[in-house]
Amino acid sequence: MGKNHLGEFEEVVMLTVAILHGEAYGVAIIEEMESRLKRSVSIGSLQVVLKRLEEKGYLKSEMGEATSVRGGKRKRFFTVTNVGKDMLRTSKEQRMQLWNALPDVALEFAGLK
Amino acid sequence: MSQSQPTPPQLILRFFRMYCNPLLVEAIEGDLVERFEIRASKKGHKKAKRLFIKDVVQLFRPEIIRPITGTQKLNELGMFKNNIVVAKRQLLRHKMYSTIKIGGFALGIAVCLLISLFIKNELSYDKHIPNHENLYRVLNNYKLDGDIIRWTWFAPPFAQAIQDDFPEVSLAGRTLEGNGFGAGKTNIRIEGEMQNHYEGDFIYADQQILDLFQFDMVHGNLKEALAQPNTLVMTRKKAEKLFPEENPVGKTVYINDNTDRPFKITGVLEDLPSTGFFQFDFLWTLSGREFWDGEQASWESQNYQVYVRVNPGTDIESLNSRLSEIGTKYILPVEKRNGNPNAEEEMKNMSFSLQPVTDIYLHSTDISDPYRKSDIKYIWIFGIIAAFILGLACINFINLSTAKSANRAKEVGLRKTIGSYRSHLITQFLTESILYSLLSFGIAIGIASLVMPYFNELAGKSLELPWTELWFIPTLAISAIIIGVIAGLYPAFYLSSFKPALVLKGKLSMGSKSSRLRNALVVFQFTASIVLIIGTFVVYQQMEFILNTNTGFDKEQVIQVRGTGFLGDQTTPFKNELLKISEVSNVSVSSYLPIRSTSRNGNTWWKDGRTKIDAGITGQNWEVDEDYIATLGLELLEGRNLDRTISSDTSAMIINQEMAKKLGIIDNPIGQKITNRASNRMVWTVVGLIQDFNFEDLRAPIRPLAMRLNYGANIASIKMNGENIASTLSQIQGVWEEIAPNQPFVYEFMDQSFAKMYANVKQIRNILTSFAVLAIIIACLGLFGLSVFMVEQRSKEISVRMVLGAKVTQVVSMLSFNFMKPILVALLLATPIAWYMMNEWLSDFEYKIGLSVQLFVLAGLSALLIALITISFQSLKAAFTSPVQGLRNE
Repeated sequence: MGKNHLGEFEEVVMLTVAILHGEAYGVAIIEEMESRLKRSVSIGSLQVVLKRLEEKGYLKSEMGEATSVRGGKRKRFFTVTNVGKDMLRTSKEQRMQLWNALPDVALEFAGLK
Repeated sequence: MSQSQPTPPQLILRFFRMYCNPLLVEAIEGDLVERFEIRASKKGHKKAKRLFIKDVVQLFRPEIIRPITGTQKLNELGMFKNNIVVAKRQLLRHKMYSTIKIGGFALGIAVCLLISLFIKNELSYDKHIPNHENLYRVLNNYKLDGDIIRWTWFAPPFAQAIQDDFPEVSLAGRTLEGNGFGAGKTNIRIEGEMQNHYEGDFIYADQQILDLFQFDMVHGNLKEALAQPNTLVMTRKKAEKLFPEENPVGKTVYINDNTDRPFKITGVLEDLPSTGFFQFDFLWTLSGREFWDGEQASWESQNYQVYVRVNPGTDIESLNSRLSEIGTKYILPVEKRNGNPNAEEEMKNMSFSLQPVTDIYLHSTDISDPYRKSDIKYIWIFGIIAAFILGLACINFINLSTAKSANRAKEVGLRKTIGSYRSHLITQFLTESILYSLLSFGIAIGIASLVMPYFNELAGKSLELPWTELWFIPTLAISAIIIGVIAGLYPAFYLSSFKPALVLKGKLSMGSKSSRLRNALVVFQFTASIVLIIGTFVVYQQMEFILNTNTGFDKEQVIQVRGTGFLGDQTTPFKNELLKISEVSNVSVSSYLPIRSTSRNGNTWWKDGRTKIDAGITGQNWEVDEDYIATLGLELLEGRNLDRTISSDTSAMIINQEMAKKLGIIDNPIGQKITNRASNRMVWTVVGLIQDFNFEDLRAPIRPLAMRLNYGANIASIKMNGENIASTLSQIQGVWEEIAPNQPFVYEFMDQSFAKMYANVKQIRNILTSFAVLAIIIACLGLFGLSVFMVEQRSKEISVRMVLGAKVTQVVSMLSFNFMKPILVALLLATPIAWYMMNEWLSDFEYKIGLSVQLFVLAGLSALLIALITISFQSLKAAFTSPVQGLRNE
C-alpha cells in the first residue's frame, strides 16, 4: 500500500466527490469543499488532482448533457471507483489504528483529550 | 446565454482555449464560466473578472496545457510492427532478390566505412600538435617562366632573421634532414660497448624545435634538452631498444665510431603519433654545429627547414607580403657582392610565405621538401568513388524494388481500398528499405572488420573500427537510416502511386516509365564501372611502364650495403676483398644514387668566366668514385672516366647531357671549364659526358648533373653477375664482418629501393583495382537480379517460342540482346569520361604511356563479357526449362 498512498488533498477531493454522489463536477466540488472545510481551492489545482486521480483509477468521469447554463458547456461528472473506495477505506483504517495506539497519557500531555 | 448576464473577458477565455488540452477544455471552461457567473452575482463584475483571470493563470500548468505530441494518441506502434512483419515476409519470400539487395548494400557500405575511416585519418594529420594553429613552416616561392617553384630549404641565418625582424614571429627554429652532413641513417655506438647499431632517422634540430612542436618528453625537458652542443634526444622506441630497462639521459654515444666527438643524451621523447608529417628517431642539436667554416653566417647555401610560431591572431597575409624584406636586406647584398648581374631581377621573383603546419601533409604536392606526403586530390577521388559505389548499391535496390512492383501492386491496391492513406504506404515502404539498410549495415561492419587488415596493408595505415568512440555507433545508425531513405524513396513513391481500381481489375500495365528508369540506372551503373575498369587498366600499364622503363642505369642485381661511412681508409681494401668474389663484377662507394632517400644537393653552375653575365643553372653536384659509371651501367658518350691516378682529376667533372645543353657546351663539352661558385674560386674541367639517366622520380624531367671524385661515402653498390644471389650475398656479408666486425650488415637490393619510389603509385593502383572489382560485382549483382526478373516475366513467351520450335541459341540471344543495349550505351558514355580523367592523371608524369584505343576496347569488351556471363546464367536456364513449366498454369 505504501506505493499507492493518498495525499491529504487527494483524499479530501475523493471524499468530496463521494459526498456529492454523482453530482460531482468542478464547481460543485469546489463549493462543497469551501463550505465544509473553509478552505479555498483554485480550479487549477483541483483539475490537476482530478486528472491524476482518474489516471490512478480511483475516479472515473463522464460528460453530462449540454445545458443552456455555463455558456452551453457540458459538465464532467466524477464518481469514485471501487478501487478508490478501497483506498479511502484503507487510509481511514490506518488513521484509526494510529489513534487507537495513542496512550491516554500522551493524549493528555499533547492536549488532545 | 442571455444578454443580461455579465460575460467573462473573451480575450482571456480565448487564451485559455488556446493553451488548454482539447480533451479537457469543455468541462473546465464550463467550470470557469459558472464560477464567474456565481462570483459576478455575489461580489460584483470587477472582482469576478479579476478572479477569473487569476483562475485562468492558475490553470496554466503542465497537466492542463495542450501536450506537444498532440492529443490524438493513435497507437502507431501496432502499425509499425505490422510494417516490420510485412517487410520480413517480403524479405523471406524473395530470398534471391533480398540477398542481392542486402549483399550489394553491405559491400557498398563496407567500402564507404573503410574509406571514411581512411579519410578521417588522413585529415587528422598534425592536429595533435598543441597550439598548431599558430605553427607554420616557411616556403621559398620563385617565379620562373610563369610557373611558381616552391621549396623549403633556407640559408642558416634565415630563422634568426625572421625571428628578429618580425615581431609577429615569437619563435623560429630549424631542422636539417635528408642525408646531408651525416643525417639520415648512421651507425651509433654506446660508450663502453663494442657493437655498432645502424639506426635512423637522425635529424639535426635547433633547441627551438622542441618548443615549437611541444613534444611529449618522457625524460628531460623541452627548454633545455638540445641547448648544449653535442647533445641529442631520441624517441622512446629507440631508447627502449638501445637502453633496455634504463633511463638513457646522461649517457654518451659515438656516431660512426668517431670518439673525438662524443654525444650526450639529454632527453627522451614520447613516440611520435603516426599521423604527423614530422617523423624521426633521433634529434641532434644544431647548437654549436658549423658544417664548414663560416657556414652559419652564410646566405649562400640552403640546407635548413624553418618553422615559426606566430602570435595568436596574426594576419598571415600581411606578414607574408612583408617577408621578402629578408631577401632585400640580407640576400641581395651578398648576391651583389658576388657580382650577380641579375640579382635585382631574381629578388623580384623571389618571395617567402608561411604554410600552416597542418597543411603540410595534404597540401604540399607542388612543394619540394624532405617529407613523405599524401595528396588531398586522392582523398577527394577516393571519397567520390566510395560514394559512387554506394550509389550503385542504392540503384540495385531501386531497380529490383520497382521491377518486382507487380507483386506488390495487389497489396497496395487492397490497402488503399481498405482506407490506407498514401502516406501510410510510403511509410511502410520506407520502413522496409530502412530495415534492409540496417541489416546491410550489420553485415557491412562484419565485412569491414574482416577486410580491415588487408585494407590497412593496401593503404599503409593501421586503422581500426573505433568501437569505443562515442560518435561511432550513432553515426552508423543515422547513416543507415539516411541511406535506407535515399534508396527507398523512389520505390516508395512509385509503388504507392498505383490506382487501386485498376490494380484490382488486374489492368496494371507494367509501366514502361519504370522500365525506362531502370535502363537509365543500369546505364549509369555500367558507365561508372567501365570508367573504373579503364582507369585501373591505365594505372596498371603506367606502373608497368615505369618499373620497366629504361631509366638509363642498370638496377638489376645491384645490392647496396649501407653504413660504409666509417670505413675510412678501409674502403679500398673492402672493395678489393669484394672483387675477389667471383660473382661480383663491380663495386662503387657513393652516397649519391639514382633512388630516393640518398643524398642530393643543389649548386648553381656557370660556364667559367660567365658568372657575371649568365643567370646560372641549378644542377646536382655528386661525389662518386671511379667505379660508379661501370657499376650502375651508365653510358659514357664522350671523353673518359674519372681517374684518381691523374692528379688534375681533383678538379675534373663528368656532366650529363642536360647540363651540357643548359650550359651551351653540348657540341664540344670535353675540356670546357665550369664553375659552381659565383666568386670563381673553384673551376672544374669537364672530362666526360654521360648519357642522361633518371636519377629522380619519373614524374619529373631529368635535371642537370655533374659528378666528381670523392671518397668515404655511406653506401656501397655491388654489381653481381651470376645466378646464385643467396650465396653471393653471404660471401659479401663474410667480407663485411671481417672488415667491420662491430657493424651490422645492412643491405637492400637496388631494384627494390627503386620500386619503393613508386610505392604510392602502386598503392593507388591497388585501391583503384579493388574499387573497380567491387563496382563491377555490385553492378553485376543488380544485372543478375534484373535478368532473373525479366525471365520470370517472359517465361510464358519463352515457353511458347520453345514449343513452336525456337532454338536455345535464339532464345538466349534474344534475351541477352535486350540487356546489351544499356551496357553498350554505358560504354559510349564511359569512354570520353575515362579518356579525359586518365589524361589528367597521366599529365603528372614526364614519362608516360599514350592512351591507346586497344585499351578502351579491351576494357569495354571485358565489361560486356562480364555482363553477358551474368545474364546468360538466366537465359540458359530459361531456355533449358521445359516449356510445360511455364505454361501449365494457364
